[in-house]
Amino acid sequence: MTIDRALFPSYEPDSTGISRREFLKRAGSMSIAAMGMGGAASTLASCGFAGGAGTGSSSGSASLSFWQFYAPGGGDKAQTQWFIDTVNTWNKNNKTQIKLEYIPTADYIGGSKLQTAFASGQGPDIFIISPGDFLRYYNGGVLQDLTPYIDKASQADFYSDVMGTRLVDGKIYAVPMEVEPMAMYYSVDAFEKAGLSEKDIPQTWDALLEVAAKLKTSKRYGIVFETSPGYYQNFTWYPFMWQTGADAVDPTTKKSGFNSDGVVQALQFWQDAIKRGLAPRTPLGGGGSDVLANLAAGYCAIQNVGIWGISALRANAPNFKYGVFKLPLPPGGSYKTILGGWAFVANAKGKNPEDAAKFCAWALASLKQDSVQRGVDWIIKAKSDVGPRKSVMEEATKEGGFSQGAMQIFKNDIFPGGRGEPRYPPEVYKAISDALQACMLNGADPRRQTESAAKTIDTFLSSYKGANIL
Amino acid sequence: MSSSSLAERERSPSQIKRGPVRRGLSRKHREWIAAYLFLAPDLMGLFVFLGIPMLLAFAIGFFEADGFGNFAFVGLDNYRQMFSDPHFLKSLQVTVAYVFGYVPCLFITSLLLALLLKQKIPFIGTFRTLFFIPNVVSLVVVGFVWKFLLADQIGVLNQLLQGGARSWLGDPNLALGGVIVVSVWFSMGYYMVIFLAGLQEIPAEYYDAASIDGADAWATFWYVTWPLLRPTSFFVLLVTLISAAGGQGFDLIFVMTRGGPAEATSLGIFYIYQQAFQFGHYGYAAAMALFLVLIMLLATIIMFVITKGGRFEFD
Repeated sequence: MTIDRALFPSYEPDSTGISRREFLKRAGSMSIAAMGMGGAASTLASCGFAGGAGTGSSSGSASLSFWQFYAPGGGDKAQTQWFIDTVNTWNKNNKTQIKLEYIPTADYIGGSKLQTAFASGQGPDIFIISPGDFLRYYNGGVLQDLTPYIDKASQADFYSDVMGTRLVDGKIYAVPMEVEPMAMYYSVDAFEKAGLSEKDIPQTWDALLEVAAKLKTSKRYGIVFETSPGYYQNFTWYPFMWQTGADAVDPTTKKSGFNSDGVVQALQFWQDAIKRGLAPRTPLGGGGSDVLANLAAGYCAIQNVGIWGISALRANAPNFKYGVFKLPLPPGGSYKTILGGWAFVANAKGKNPEDAAKFCAWALASLKQDSVQRGVDWIIKAKSDVGPRKSVMEEATKEGGFSQGAMQIFKNDIFPGGRGEPRYPPEVYKAISDALQACMLNGADPRRQTESAAKTIDTFLSSYKGANIL
Repeated sequence: MSSSSLAERERSPSQIKRGPVRRGLSRKHREWIAAYLFLAPDLMGLFVFLGIPMLLAFAIGFFEADGFGNFAFVGLDNYRQMFSDPHFLKSLQVTVAYVFGYVPCLFITSLLLALLLKQKIPFIGTFRTLFFIPNVVSLVVVGFVWKFLLADQIGVLNQLLQGGARSWLGDPNLALGGVIVVSVWFSMGYYMVIFLAGLQEIPAEYYDAASIDGADAWATFWYVTWPLLRPTSFFVLLVTLISAAGGQGFDLIFVMTRGGPAEATSLGIFYIYQQAFQFGHYGYAAAMALFLVLIMLLATIIMFVITKGGRFEFD
């Protein structure tokens, strides 16, 4: 039974029995599993633990478990089918079988499912992570080195900006499946009703707020930014900070660069959008990333969303007329956007890390035609993304995936100014999130917030011992 | 009568004649054993699923644990850290505000509902069901529905208010209040049923006597209903207090505000969750959880002392 396994992870003692140290480690693992299961009375138990760990992922079968959140019956059947086809193809040609397991998105992203599974020694053999989570898993020692399974030519096929945040000491620990740049989407209908046209697409932050003011009505906001605290909100705000030339962490000095005029400027910009009533304090539906519940539903006229919005609109609001444009610039700033996206990783402490790593490499990082085609199918058929590899982008372009409309703009205009999503540890993320929340929604002074956050980040960095923060 | 004499009486005379009288356990002891045998499955469950996890959670509070099997003994560091962690202190403030908002509001609304729905009027069962229905809906669904109802500008509430439209979940001054309202709406049907059960336990003769004495509705409530309802009131207060401080609001906050805006709804339990499952600081989370449990325990003891275990001065 899954619950029993979560509480009492099955360890195989070696012939010499267990040492006191090992005993303590095992007791600790049980404790963490227990925290997820029941916790300190009702307290930790109420931490939203949803159904226990494992879900049979390691229920004794020889197959490797592959956790992700593209569930059957979800938003887009083509995306689910892509995962099914990938795994079926592998299973037909390999002795080691892989079993797909779907975790609800809310439980996977920001939820406790994956974390509890690892804490109880029941982590999946293969799973997907975003750069924001990379360091936690790498520093925890559960990411398998994939470099031996990817030949040199294939390694060179990946864009360096995309692969950079998945490398530690030149070794590859995650294979990106997609690249998701952020941009601005706008409703053509709202523009026309406000007497605006493509010529009025804003190029600067000030112009963006002016256009948003013209688009705002009693039932529609001018623009939507993410407002819920979390990794995603930070993710969407970083490019605004970078455009000013500022950065949260300087990788060379290993000190915070957060206490700077640029950061103040970027915080002020988002604060102004809220203060002036041009942006809502609470987006609808799934939040700022949900282009259907906000832009397509008429809740706003412009929305700050990533490239995934194209496939979401294509599948669910095919008649909605929209356009996309690059993130506008601050005075004297230079263009930057952020390149998000998820990656396949193999569990170094899983049942068969070697075969799990081989699967990741075979699926996404081989120069063979089927691997390239798999990448193409994902970015232009199942979803709407930029490819993480040159070969995939060439093939996708040949197939017409970027020949028109929003996809063309993303490839030609938006993606080229991209920077990989940073991999900040939770302590850095939290300091930035607090400053952003306080300024944006509580009217706090950006200068004071940057000073406070920079101190917190520096204190953390002074004792940080994990992999490089990029 | 002793148990042995009872046993003797139940035996046939021939049996009594054939063997010596056995001096076994007394009836009291046999009942005691029987009672614990009946309780054993529950007690075992409680021990395995609550007792052991509590002990382990207590132990892990002395370690730095990342959730990947790596542990380092840190002694009392986690406990020291929590008292200098502004986020934890802020989350305690929010928890106190939540408890002081949620518990009285829930108590009053569920009691009023129970008093209203105690009346013998047509379709009373339907009304009771209607008020109880929210309690059977998933809190996640409740959260999403209310998030839509309270949406900025176009939400139902803001449409009704027109000029007075506010951001109920996006304004740090209003967000916790918004969450409390939804929490009360969700729970009031359940506690209404408990109050109804308490009200039905009050003998009708007391009300008849009050009526004969000329007591009006308020006097009847104050001198008859309220005193006799105190054990039920104590139970409701205790349970709602523990659930509010412990984690009752977690699901709603997870769905509706994610602890925001600007930590305005970051309850202690939510911050503990973040530290454990989002940041991988399991040891620190366990230490904070233990502290929260101790506070709840203290509050419970104080309530027991003040109310003499819910009996007050009437027993």
